[in-house]
Amino acid sequence: MLSDFLIALIMLTNFSLVTTSRINKSIQFAVLQGVLLGLLPLTMGLWRIPHIVLLAAAAVAVKGWLIPSLFRRALQQVKIDREVGPYIGFSASLLLCALGTGLSMLLAHNLPLKLGTANPLFVPASLATLFTGFLLLVSRRKALTQVVGYLVLENGIYLFALLLVEEMPLLVEAGILLDLFVGIFVMGIVINHIRVAFDSIDTRHLAELKD
Amino acid sequence: MLDIVLILAALGCWLAASFIPLFKLLDERFYLGLGVLGSLLAVVGALHVLITGNASGLDFVFWKLPARIEVDALSAAFLLPLNLVAGLGIIYQSEYWPTSMVTGRSVRGLFGLLAASLMLVFIARQGILFLMAWEVMAMSAFLLIGTEHGTPQVQRASWIYLMCTHTGTLLLIAAVALLAHRCGDLLWIPHPGLPDSSLDSAIMVLALLGFGIKAGFLPLHFWLPEAHAWAPSHVSAILSGVMLKAGLYGIIRLSGLVPTTPAFLGGLVLTLGAVTAVYGVINALAQSDFKRLLAYSSIENIGIIGIGLGLGWTGRAYHESWLTALGFAGAVFHIWNHSVFKGLLFFGAGSLLHATGTRKIEALGGLAKRMPQTALVIFPAVLAVAALPPFNAFLSEWFLYRGLLSSFQRGESWAACLALPALAISGGLAAVAFAKFFGFVFLGEPRTSAVEHAHDPGKAMMLPMVILALLCVGLGLGSVLLLPLLDHVVGVVAPEATGLLVLGIGPDLALLSWMLALLLVLGALGFLWLRRSRRNLTTRPPTWDCGYARPTARMQYTASSFSAGWASLVPGCKERMRRVRAVFPRPLTYRSEFQDAVGEAFVEPRVDRLAERLLRFRQLQHGHLSLYILYILLALLGVFLWMLVRARLLG
Repeated sequence: MLSDFLIALIMLTNFSLVTTSRINKSIQFAVLQGVLLGLLPLTMGLWRIPHIVLLAAAAVAVKGWLIPSLFRRALQQVKIDREVGPYIGFSASLLLCALGTGLSMLLAHNLPLKLGTANPLFVPASLATLFTGFLLLVSRRKALTQVVGYLVLENGIYLFALLLVEEMPLLVEAGILLDLFVGIFVMGIVINHIRVAFDSIDTRHLAELKD
Repeated sequence: MLDIVLILAALGCWLAASFIPLFKLLDERFYLGLGVLGSLLAVVGALHVLITGNASGLDFVFWKLPARIEVDALSAAFLLPLNLVAGLGIIYQSEYWPTSMVTGRSVRGLFGLLAASLMLVFIARQGILFLMAWEVMAMSAFLLIGTEHGTPQVQRASWIYLMCTHTGTLLLIAAVALLAHRCGDLLWIPHPGLPDSSLDSAIMVLALLGFGIKAGFLPLHFWLPEAHAWAPSHVSAILSGVMLKAGLYGIIRLSGLVPTTPAFLGGLVLTLGAVTAVYGVINALAQSDFKRLLAYSSIENIGIIGIGLGLGWTGRAYHESWLTALGFAGAVFHIWNHSVFKGLLFFGAGSLLHATGTRKIEALGGLAKRMPQTALVIFPAVLAVAALPPFNAFLSEWFLYRGLLSSFQRGESWAACLALPALAISGGLAAVAFAKFFGFVFLGEPRTSAVEHAHDPGKAMMLPMVILALLCVGLGLGSVLLLPLLDHVVGVVAPEATGLLVLGIGPDLALLSWMLALLLVLGALGFLWLRRSRRNLTTRPPTWDCGYARPTARMQYTASSFSAGWASLVPGCKERMRRVRAVFPRPLTYRSEFQDAVGEAFVEPRVDRLAERLLRFRQLQHGHLSLYILYILLALLGVFLWMLVRARLLG
């Protein structure tokens, strides 16, 4: 029951993410989503298995503390606080996100997946989160919001991986976390360089780099 | 068993040698020692196999598939020239391309890799293993051709080579897959008892195209002149002397593997060979760059070898064992001879380049006085490439003439009637082309200042050339002794034709050997006599003095004027000159341009046009990150929707 509740919260954060224009708000939502995901395995009745507990702790630490601190540093460096003029407007994004969530439900019912004991909401929720991540990546102009989109995309993958959490070795899960951390870390540096080079973090300027 | 161990040890030596330049601590001597040891081991192993005629192989499991390496007489026939040219090549390289050069180390490593992969190509008996070795060979050759990649022409030559070789590999993958499908497994061993199938023809056509690109048969040759001209000379020697032959090896090997050799193969290869030989030699005539001249001469020789192979397969199709034996033996003998004299010529070209820094024949002249040893050493190769007695190529072409004449007499194949005059014409024109090469580089008076400081190279470069020059003469005189060896090779390709050579052509060769020895002795006596009478001269006037009061170097024939009459034959040669009209004419200019009729005149404009049309797809590459991600999203959604719809459609 508790896991249903968490998944519902995760899907709600998706909607909040696409509608907020404040960058630090959207970061907070992404972090909240990450922490909820980290707690999710514990609510699935798996808290007796030590490596899953370890993993949940690591996920919460990375997504709840390490990544926000990286974001905070990047925000201080670039000195912006809101997403202005996204490619797709906020209300249109909300509609698209809803459409994507509906589509995910539809898909999850028709996908030939072998669901064991896991919660039947996992697949639609993970697909919806993936879609939201993509939507953020595609529709936002500022590099920082795009990194948030990447983070949400990774959250969707993480949620999908939870389906297999009992079979999946610790190393793979830890690898995903490390990958995420390094990705955000590098992007933080890249964003700062974009700002220095173009005097803005608008990714449209990157098109000048093509040969 | 012993032989395959020897060959494998040699392969290991070459492989180890290719890694030595990676370590700065190990020096040149170690590399040289390993390479020479490898080639000696392989030469011993290959010779032993050729003399006894016994194959020895090794079965193992490779990627969970049965695999085999084996050295039989056919493999040995190709391993022998490979290790000869490669072993001498690294001795040559130690002076020609010293480690102190920027690319010194990389050339050393890649050269070892090329030799090792070529060895594996010749002994691999499993489709996947062969293709892997083939690809390593092609890539190391690509990197070697692009050694001086700072020059745009070198980049162009190496990219053209890369495209051609990959197209060839693509066709070969198809051929290997079809062969595996036909035989039931990937092993390259004869599978007796399979029923006839039209697949065999498809396999052979694919192999002919794929290997033909590597060998340089006519419409597929256009990568070759550029690549050979721009590679370092010892690399050109191994490319021309051995790597082209890897293509021929592939064709021969596969023709023995398909259950039934298609009947059209003989006529096709014979025709291809004849056309290639004539085309190659005519283009060689028109060249003003001596390395390109040598490259076109390689195309000619590939054509001659093709004539031999075609004759062999024609013989098989008509059940004439005598023709088969002559054809295959002549082809293999010419392969040996070509790698000896073309190796020597490219080494010589390297010495010329080393001494003068130019590849233009027009810029040289009079080098026989400044580089007497080089001139003397190259001379046998020049005569051999023109198939003149007493040198080796004369004898291998003798095999072919005998075979073609007897095929002609029996009136079996129209292709033989075509090949006979083609062989004769290409021999004659080769003599003209190499008279141009030798005459205008070594004889006469210097034409430019490039020649001024020319001098003979040092021992490390001379030694390989001397060895090859001696082999040119030795293979010519001792051809009788080679007959049993050739017989064993024929036995692998066409088992029904074994044992015919020694009786059939042995007396010919014995007689020829004696006559050639006599010719040599007479020639040497004549030379000495000329030297004796020359000693009486008090002063030596310049060449082409002709009694003029003030002769200059510009009064002599030039290489272009020498071949001007022939140049009109060449399809891609353009000359531009205004006619001399007035009594006191103004200064006139003459320009001649050369374009390869297939590569530069036909393929290149079409490829350019295609590239222009494909430019419109550049719009997809706009640089907007968001849109790139959108592409991924759309693709993902497309896949998902397909999954949904498919479940509905197909139930």
